[in-house]
Amino acid sequence: MRRRCVPFAGLLAAACAVGQPAIPLATFVAGDVAAVRAFAAQQVAEGDEENRALVLNVQAQCDLLLGNTDEARRAFESAGQIMGSWAASGGEVTSALIGSESSKTYKGDPYEKAMNAFYLCYCFLLKGEPDNARAACKRGILMDAEVEDEKFQADNALLFWLAGRMSKLMGSPDDVDFYKEAATANAFAIEHGARGDAQNRVLADPAAGNLVLLFECGLGPEKYADGIQDELARFRPRPHPAVRARVSIDGRDLGPSGVSAILVDVDYQARTLGGTAMEGIRKGKAIFKTASTAAGVVLLSQAAKDRGDSARTQAIAGGALLLAGLLTSSSADIRHWPTLPSTVQALTANVPPGEHVIDVDFLDASGRPIPSLRQRAQTLVPQKGESWHLFRSLPRVAPVTPAPGSP
Amino acid sequence: MSIRFVLPTFLALFAACSGTRDARVNPDAPDTVTGTGLQSQDIRTMAQQMAADIKASGVLAPGKEGERVSFYIYEIKNDSSDVIDKEIILTKLRTELAKAMGRQVKILDRSPSANDLTDAERRMKERGQVSGTNDRKIAGSDFVLKGTMKSRDRQAGKLKSSYVLVTFELTDLVTQELAWTNDYDMKTESEKSVINR
Repeated sequence: MRRRCVPFAGLLAAACAVGQPAIPLATFVAGDVAAVRAFAAQQVAEGDEENRALVLNVQAQCDLLLGNTDEARRAFESAGQIMGSWAASGGEVTSALIGSESSKTYKGDPYEKAMNAFYLCYCFLLKGEPDNARAACKRGILMDAEVEDEKFQADNALLFWLAGRMSKLMGSPDDVDFYKEAATANAFAIEHGARGDAQNRVLADPAAGNLVLLFECGLGPEKYADGIQDELARFRPRPHPAVRARVSIDGRDLGPSGVSAILVDVDYQARTLGGTAMEGIRKGKAIFKTASTAAGVVLLSQAAKDRGDSARTQAIAGGALLLAGLLTSSSADIRHWPTLPSTVQALTANVPPGEHVIDVDFLDASGRPIPSLRQRAQTLVPQKGESWHLFRSLPRVAPVTPAPGSP
Repeated sequence: MSIRFVLPTFLALFAACSGTRDARVNPDAPDTVTGTGLQSQDIRTMAQQMAADIKASGVLAPGKEGERVSFYIYEIKNDSSDVIDKEIILTKLRTELAKAMGRQVKILDRSPSANDLTDAERRMKERGQVSGTNDRKIAGSDFVLKGTMKSRDRQAGKLKSSYVLVTFELTDLVTQELAWTNDYDMKTESEKSVINR
């Protein structure tokens, strides 16, 4: 009976494997955000429930780019609730352990949770609720600390800096503490291979500026399966020409201070997750899969040569082992959020209150502007408070919605 | 390969891939969708407790000559690490206070939309575009009710806990005296599953 259970258990467990949703990334890069939004919304409504947080994040990103800020906030919040929950049912755990890991609910890696928090922060800022925006940052900082390698647990300068800026908008005196954490996080990340500047202009004067510009440059990393049985989850960068942003305001070139500063390197954040318990389990399953498949083939081959009861026993055992090997899924769960940027950067400026025109050039690795990504936005900087904008290195598709100034 | 073995296996297979459910549940019941932060149960209990306590304190009771006390609800400041829907908390609290105190108090609506609507209505009355007269002043407030939400989060290895403290206070708008205060707290603990990072 036990022998008979093996293939069925494998079948049971492998049956509900959930793949990466086919987000049309090329369409996204081409700037047809509305089409990607429609795809994501359809996936939210009709796709695999286990991928809900992933497609909600994509939908929300598109909504933000299209100026649908309330919808974006709601979707990021829903996705964040799923990603933030540590709960897992017994059945889900069993399925993921015995069968395919990707049968579990997608909750994202810590770097993806941190990016959800970043977007949620920005959405609450747009709503005029800096306290909720700061709460999102704090949650993101906690989620970033979920990486297995302890030394990389507090190295997201973007979230610390944003939390400080939100504290400033709230009139809370703890902004200074967050700025210090941001500087420490940036120094640590640079030291350990992240892209950016040790002398970061934004973090050098973190509270400065009544015009705050954020830039999402490039494309975030791709998660792929590696190893003999695809049991290893790895990240590789996705090519995209935009690496920095250069800004001019009212036609005036700001010189070196008009080039954005990297606050988070998403590729680095993904690379430094550290190992997980599931990685060990997948490796064990891969060894079992390889060994049982090989043993099954040997026994079946032997059975073909022998005769009688011995041959029948070998055939049954060999068949069972072969089936068990074939049905054991050791593949890593490679679902990931593909529309993330490669870096998030910032630039702050002090400008006179009133209307201004912002021109953004995204630059390639050699510092040349990429004409197809040029963007222009108008802003109204209030007498008191700040004006915030978020730009993505995509062909311009929609007006950039400015965040309201603080009260 | 008997039917005794095959049938339960396939039933389990179908169960594993079964559909979802929609069901009405008691809003006072603990959330099955867990996570840290306030749940519906907390919002309801908190609003009911605060309304009952404000009433019991007598701070909003009518004066000796029956004049009603007025107050408005200002805001809840979120110092925690969980985003909250401020409106759902404050609206529920206002409703519970209205239910508990009825016409004994004047609850003022100082929301921006109320200000806009009042201004527009008063202008139309002044112009004679609508019936009625502006024969009363906009009501002043004796008290303001406001709150803060704070949290203490701890995380180590596979465990995390979150303690949430929501404090409400009623401030006298003439003397700045803190006329009433109370709080509601809750704590959640979570253990990370091996399948989640």
